[in-house]
Amino acid sequence: MHISDGILNAPVLIGGFAGAGVLAVATMRNMDMEEIPKISVITAVFFVASSIKIPLGPTSVHLILNGLAAVVLGWRAFPAITLGLVLQAIILGHGGVTVIGVNALMMGGGGLIAYLVWQQRHRFHFKKKLFVFGALTGAVGVASSGIILALALATAGEAFHAVAEMVLLAHIPIILIEAGVVGACAEFLQKVKPELLAGQQAPRLQTSTDAG
Amino acid sequence: MSEQFMIEADNVCFTYPDGHQVLKDLNCRIRKGEKVALIGPNGAGKSTFMSHLNGVELATSGRILINGAEVGKQNLKSIRRQVGIVFQDPDDQLFCPTVFDDVAFGPLNLGLPQEDIRARVREALAVVGLQGFEERSSFHLSFGERKRLALATVLSYQPDILVFDEPSTNMDPMNRRNLINWLKNTDKTLLLCTHDLDIALEVCSRCLLLVDGHIIEDGASAEVLYNRKLLEENKLELPLALMTHELLHGILHEQEMDEDHRQIIGNFLHAHRHAHGTEGHGHVHLHAHAHDHGHLHEAVDEAHFNEESHHEHGDHQEHVAIPHSHDADDSHEHDHHEHHHHAAEVAESDVEETTSGERH
Amino acid sequence: MAFDIDRYDHVASPLQSWDPRVKVASLGLLILVIALLKTIPMAVVAIAIAIGIMALSALPLHFVSHGLSFVLMFLIPFFFIMPFTYPGEGAFEILGVSFAWQGLRIATLIFIKALSIVMLSFVIFGSSRFDISMLALQRLKFPSIVVQMLLFAYRYTFVFLDEMKRMHISMRARGFIARSDRKTLKIYGHFIGTLLVRSFERTERVYKAMLSKGYQGKLHSMVQFHSVPLDYAKAAVILLITIGLLIGEFGGTLNTAVQAWY
Repeated sequence: MHISDGILNAPVLIGGFAGAGVLAVATMRNMDMEEIPKISVITAVFFVASSIKIPLGPTSVHLILNGLAAVVLGWRAFPAITLGLVLQAIILGHGGVTVIGVNALMMGGGGLIAYLVWQQRHRFHFKKKLFVFGALTGAVGVASSGIILALALATAGEAFHAVAEMVLLAHIPIILIEAGVVGACAEFLQKVKPELLAGQQAPRLQTSTDAG
Repeated sequence: MSEQFMIEADNVCFTYPDGHQVLKDLNCRIRKGEKVALIGPNGAGKSTFMSHLNGVELATSGRILINGAEVGKQNLKSIRRQVGIVFQDPDDQLFCPTVFDDVAFGPLNLGLPQEDIRARVREALAVVGLQGFEERSSFHLSFGERKRLALATVLSYQPDILVFDEPSTNMDPMNRRNLINWLKNTDKTLLLCTHDLDIALEVCSRCLLLVDGHIIEDGASAEVLYNRKLLEENKLELPLALMTHELLHGILHEQEMDEDHRQIIGNFLHAHRHAHGTEGHGHVHLHAHAHDHGHLHEAVDEAHFNEESHHEHGDHQEHVAIPHSHDADDSHEHDHHEHHHHAAEVAESDVEETTSGERH
Repeated sequence: MAFDIDRYDHVASPLQSWDPRVKVASLGLLILVIALLKTIPMAVVAIAIAIGIMALSALPLHFVSHGLSFVLMFLIPFFFIMPFTYPGEGAFEILGVSFAWQGLRIATLIFIKALSIVMLSFVIFGSSRFDISMLALQRLKFPSIVVQMLLFAYRYTFVFLDEMKRMHISMRARGFIARSDRKTLKIYGHFIGTLLVRSFERTERVYKAMLSKGYQGKLHSMVQFHSVPLDYAKAAVILLITIGLLIGEFGGTLNTAVQAWY
């Protein structure tokens, strides 16, 4: 979920852009030429994928997929997510143009936190590892962005505390859905094109426990 | 004949970082103005070889020379200005907001003077029949238009060498025919990597067969592409045009047929193929004779040198032979007999099966 | 959802003929000020202005109304939550829950502001070709690498929308119906995975094609911007409006009058 224009105060907006700017510069360091089209194209995929509607009872939800961005791009997920937000704001009117900075911190930041979770998978060996870690990463991505969103809303004043809580609650079904989708996706990628997964170690001999 | 080739590959080997060796001692030489087809089964290394021609990949060992200059990190820009590659999927090559931008991309990036760029874009678009399309978005064009646009994006910087990866895939017949005509008329050096063996036969005078990273056959298209055994061994087959040829040939050798029909089929088999070589217009005949029992010759017809017209002719007895990839040897005689036997035995069955004799 | 934001860029209007750099800068500033308004009367003035500018742009109504869907969906719950959860004493009670006007006021304020901003944003980007808008941003000192990536991403969005549509059709042809169950999630996971794999393979090919034509990391464009005095006159008008809003906001007279009224 993105926050819209008109809610946050000037300091928060400025802080959002400043923080997002710092993180963007940090995560785009040493980017070589080949990554420019790569990140752009993957941004486009996520942009398009975020328009998919998944049924949830009577309504449907859109996926955030910041966890999946982390799975596939690692640190570079931050610029990709931010660019995606710019596109969503301009082209679809999702989120708002003045809050792109804050939304970037929320979703991009959530993505970075999710990446930290994703990288822990190297410590474990068990069947379905990829699914489990994919699901965890997806869940943490959404959860982190939900928490940051709630915090941002809280800065707008006491009047918003209840809304912030509601927003957190509203994220719960999305967390579950994304866990399922990102888990399945990570598993699929491992089978079909493992080099797409970020933070892979050098290929080592497959052992019987590496069934993921 | 000058010995500087447009494209030269000397013992080129290439291994991917993951250890997979794709090119194994690849050798070839292509002269200026030649039109060469590169055929081979999937996975043979055609795409990889193409990537070496403009330095997108650099050989692990051996070398590639473009117009005498060895391809290396230091001269990539000048190499890329001389070698234009048109890839198979237009959407991989059209990545700019407008048609103009896509066609101007090459000239702008290769450092051509800005004043000329508008003119170059206009000319390139005119050549492919997309004049006036400058301001449109490439996404909204039809597939055929995008294929043509992809070609325009390469023509705009006027490379001397054009390399095509599957130029005719998914094209509708009219566009394909226009492309073939354009390819036949251009005087650029061409390398067509294709599964469309008919386009290879029609456009290219020479054919390279790439199998398993190595060029195993290099000869006149008419020879290589009529070599059923060689093609089928390597997961290919005869071009459609030659299948018909072969079919009729088989029919010709069946037992009973009245002379009129035999004559008609014999004339029909007398196919002409025009080739424009470096010496001017040569009129090259591709034919099989009723009494030749299945040998396909390609010969420069002296009498028609520099003539444009297309003739139907009777038998030619004397030819100036272009180097064949086979020489007369004992197996000829053997094949004659085999052939007769087969023709006699097989009555109702599939005609193609009767022509199972050796073709060289 | 339509993704080609610039499909009406040919519609003639004072917005369309405005130098995009000046347009983005002026309206951008207006948007920023609107976002920070705290009084409803000024917000109403702002939306009136936004509607006026929208009308001037001659863009079809459905074009902008489409873009408002997110704002509506996100903010309508605010109307139901905020009045009932506003801290402190409410004015009265509905079904046992206390209702506070201030909560409603805040929700209304946000709603009006957000709508105004989206309207203006769609006018900005709907009245110029997308790449021209992006290049305008670059001339206004946005980092060129960001602009380059936005342009590529936009270009390939349509390719993937197409692929997604085709994949969806083939899925439905095989009997897939999206439901709220685990199977659907798995299928969508694979669906998105397939899109990712294809896009990854495509990037490799695109990069090859770019290299083949001499790409060295920079985006060269021959788009040229020209500004005429009229562009700056329009900017001046917007600037005056912006200042007017600020004065109205801090001046407070209008606000006190309205507040006294209710």
